Amino acid sequence: MSAAIEVRNLTKSYDDVPALRGIDLTINPGEFYGLLGPNGAGKTTTIGIITGLVKLQSGNVSVFGKDIVRDFRYTRSKIGVSPQDFTSDWFFSIEKLLYFQAGYYGITQKEAAPTIERLLEQFGLTAKRDSKIRQLSGGMKRRFQIAKSLVNDPDILILDEPTAGVDVELRRMLWNYLRELHSKGKTILLTTHYIEEAEQLCEKVSIIDEGKIVIEGTPAELIRSLGKGGVEVQVSGWEDAMEDRLSNMTFAYEPSEDGGRVIFTVDNPEKALTGIVGALSSNGCSIHEVKVTKSSLEDVFIELTGKTIGE
Amino acid sequence: MTTLVQHINWVGFRTLVAREVTRFLSVYRQTVFPGVISSALYIIIFGFTLQQRISSINDVPYTIYIIPGLIMMNVITNAYNNTASSLLQMKLLGQLQDMLITPLSNLELAFSFIIGGATRGFINGVMVLLLGMAITGMPLEHPFYVLLFLLMVSWSFSSVGLIIGIMAESWDNIATMVNFFITPLIFLGGVFYSINMLPGFWRTLSMANPIYYVINGLRYSVLGGGAADSSIGISLFAAAVMTILFTAAGTYLFHRGYRIRQ
Repeated sequence: MSAAIEVRNLTKSYDDVPALRGIDLTINPGEFYGLLGPNGAGKTTTIGIITGLVKLQSGNVSVFGKDIVRDFRYTRSKIGVSPQDFTSDWFFSIEKLLYFQAGYYGITQKEAAPTIERLLEQFGLTAKRDSKIRQLSGGMKRRFQIAKSLVNDPDILILDEPTAGVDVELRRMLWNYLRELHSKGKTILLTTHYIEEAEQLCEKVSIIDEGKIVIEGTPAELIRSLGKGGVEVQVSGWEDAMEDRLSNMTFAYEPSEDGGRVIFTVDNPEKALTGIVGALSSNGCSIHEVKVTKSSLEDVFIELTGKTIGE
Repeated sequence: MTTLVQHINWVGFRTLVAREVTRFLSVYRQTVFPGVISSALYIIIFGFTLQQRISSINDVPYTIYIIPGLIMMNVITNAYNNTASSLLQMKLLGQLQDMLITPLSNLELAFSFIIGGATRGFINGVMVLLLGMAITGMPLEHPFYVLLFLLMVSWSFSSVGLIIGIMAESWDNIATMVNFFITPLIFLGGVFYSINMLPGFWRTLSMANPIYYVINGLRYSVLGGGAADSSIGISLFAAAVMTILFTAAGTYLFHRGYRIRQ
């Protein structure tokens, strides 16, 4: 079975300034995929090329095995996009705009009607159906934007910063809705500034920086492989001689000055816990308290890019 | 050809054309009425007052003589403005990206915009034509040619609007084209006078102005043989060349995604 989205060696420059320097991505059907990166990393450009907003310069992109340039009608009909920036319109009601959007996808008004009714309902926009975009609140605009990306009942949903600037309540609502879509088998590609969002929702994430994918994996894998976890143990009976006795241990550790606390740095603290406790107690230490510290995806991000995600 | 027709996203194309037409019709006070009102004013003020000084040109009463030019003026400015401003507005408000991500090809997008503007130009032309006939009892000698000129000229200048709309980054760019090129060319194209009334040099220069030919082509079509300065053949040729040239340029730029897709 072909990948939902396959990106090979994608490069792009704007006026000789490179924006993408060879992006490779494989997103499998039904996967919930996150693209993380600081501003200007190339997330929006990558999405832009996949969706047709940005011209392909070199490399290949296919959607369900079809080329996005040669078979653009097929690939674009499979994708729904919710761009980061709100669009506006001075002339038409939001309901009318949903019908137009469906029409561009080749869906007649009659065919589109049930979907549009359902979307207005699901996104709490039924009462506002006759309003213009500018009459909507920020949260409603975001809901409308996402509803619009679903008018063609896409197999792949691409969301560029879907929860930027929305309140906590709406963020939770959108997360639940995206989980529901995902459970129905939709492939979802998300870019986000909120690491928590990626950790909560995505099965797989890529961290992109300066136009390159720095690392890819499940959030847990990334944290495991790059995050520095630790086990902090409050002990009594620690003595300098312990260092010799523990010399065969594989983890790095650092006792405090007074010997009342030892911090072990390990890749997977939960897994290492039993070994540490066992080694300490069999060597004559009594354990008072054990604390496991885990790093987050955010730590991984900073470690890899040297930047916080807000930069 | 069959395959080409099958490959067109007809529903999408129809939707965008409908959007473009509904858009200008929803603000008919800005897009349909002003042309009719200003033309009525031209006919009443210019026509009836100047008629006392210039009773007729080429044996046509002056009031009637100016009407074909007024029709063209409306067709050209409305067709141009619709496409140029619609496109710029879509770029500025981010609406264009909603279309660029759909299975509409660049050419389908381009032709939808052209048809939208051409429709506005055509409607304005017909309104001023009917107004002229109602106020002055103007004849309609060659209705088929009238139709042909209205269609070709509204289409050509809608295509000019497409070109400028693609290039434009501000409303200023769009107005500049009207103020510095289109309006002067229309006025110098002989809306209010026959070029035979001009001195030799200016007469020759006027003949380089394509709008001169379409105004006189319409003058021939509405008023009959003797009224026009240029022959119907040359006028039709000029209109056809403009149509082909501007359509080709506009659709080529759009097809290449120039300033549309980054």
